[in-house]
Amino acid sequence: MSLQLIRPDINLDFVGKRHFFVILSTAINIAAILLIVFKGLNYGVDFVGGSVVQVQFTNTTNADSIRRSLGGLDLGEITVQDFGSGGHSYLLRFEKVKNIAGLGPTLEAELAKTFGTNDVKVVRVESVGAKVGSDLRRRGFFAVIVATIFMGIFIAIQFRHVSWSFGTGAVIALIHDVLVVTGALVIAQLQFDLTTLAALLTVIGYSVHDTIIVSDRIREDASKRRREPIATIMNRAINETLSRTILTSGTAIMVLIALLIFGGPILRPSAFTLLVGFITGTYSSVYIAGPVVLFWEGRTKVGSLSSRAA
Amino acid sequence: MVAVALSIKTGRGNYRLNLAAPAERDPDGILLTLVLERADGIERVAFRCRIASELVTQDVDEETLLTRLSPWIEREFEMTRENALKTIRSERKMLELSFDASNRGPF
Repeated sequence: MSLQLIRPDINLDFVGKRHFFVILSTAINIAAILLIVFKGLNYGVDFVGGSVVQVQFTNTTNADSIRRSLGGLDLGEITVQDFGSGGHSYLLRFEKVKNIAGLGPTLEAELAKTFGTNDVKVVRVESVGAKVGSDLRRRGFFAVIVATIFMGIFIAIQFRHVSWSFGTGAVIALIHDVLVVTGALVIAQLQFDLTTLAALLTVIGYSVHDTIIVSDRIREDASKRRREPIATIMNRAINETLSRTILTSGTAIMVLIALLIFGGPILRPSAFTLLVGFITGTYSSVYIAGPVVLFWEGRTKVGSLSSRAA
Repeated sequence: MVAVALSIKTGRGNYRLNLAAPAERDPDGILLTLVLERADGIERVAFRCRIASELVTQDVDEETLLTRLSPWIEREFEMTRENALKTIRSERKMLELSFDASNRGPF
């Protein structure tokens, strides 16, 4: 017996509801931009510079005790985060340490005064200079822009015989996805570091992959049904690929949910990015990329897309 | 606890290798808690080293063990550093290197 989640003859009206979803997506994108501008991402040490220090305690302790015991040191603002070991392991983040050299031994000596010499160990120190951090941030932003533009150019060239609007639709869908994911990261205040950036670039790749599947079916259907309106062709293409979309996205999402729950604090930001991105990428392939093509082609006469696809 | 810090030259710059805690001795062997720290202090990673009793005597001092380990860690620096960082980041525990009759390492 074959696995059939969606009836082959299903005909949901995706295209008819496009105005509602375009308005909804625009509102979400505006909210995401406002969040990014006014609240900002929780950049990791990779992007802002500073030091991350992992400390292990023999006995259970809490963030307040650690902050208090380090109060005598002039280390600027300290973020103390439980590292998921039931109070035995903590991550300390320092954004502006004047003297990075000797940070590990200095912290260890200071913490030992409160917690005992043999009960506290600085097991990891990783530092990035402020200049390197800002350089990485600029390059990361540039990588996202370049990836988005090149994906758009690639799709535009691949579908040029049907319409150049597919490339535009893909780029707008990708911008939408990047904004939604970034906005979600701002709300969740999860750390945005190099791993999260890699996840964001993966989202771009996944989203465009999904857009290509839908666009390719539109191209195929357009060549078969030359007299049908573009909206009908598009809606049929989305329905025909719906089963595949749900199965592939669904399995990927299940894996990502497992990673988010069981992956631990280090993998959580990237798992969250991928999860939100895969959901958004699937949605944007249907409700963003399609309507852009429709908007573009809607100005031309009925059947023009079909005749070009032939 | 021995206060000596041995210098290690690596592709990532100079590092110091020292003991982070007194050696733990039991009939099976000796357990060392070591720290690799870059000379400029921007990186530090701790890991453990278990040396089986068949390779060393119980009364061997920590400085001798550190001196024996140092060239081996210098040679295997990249692997040791990477594994130690990965283990601490993802498993939240220190990497444990084991040296015994089947894997003698520097002993």
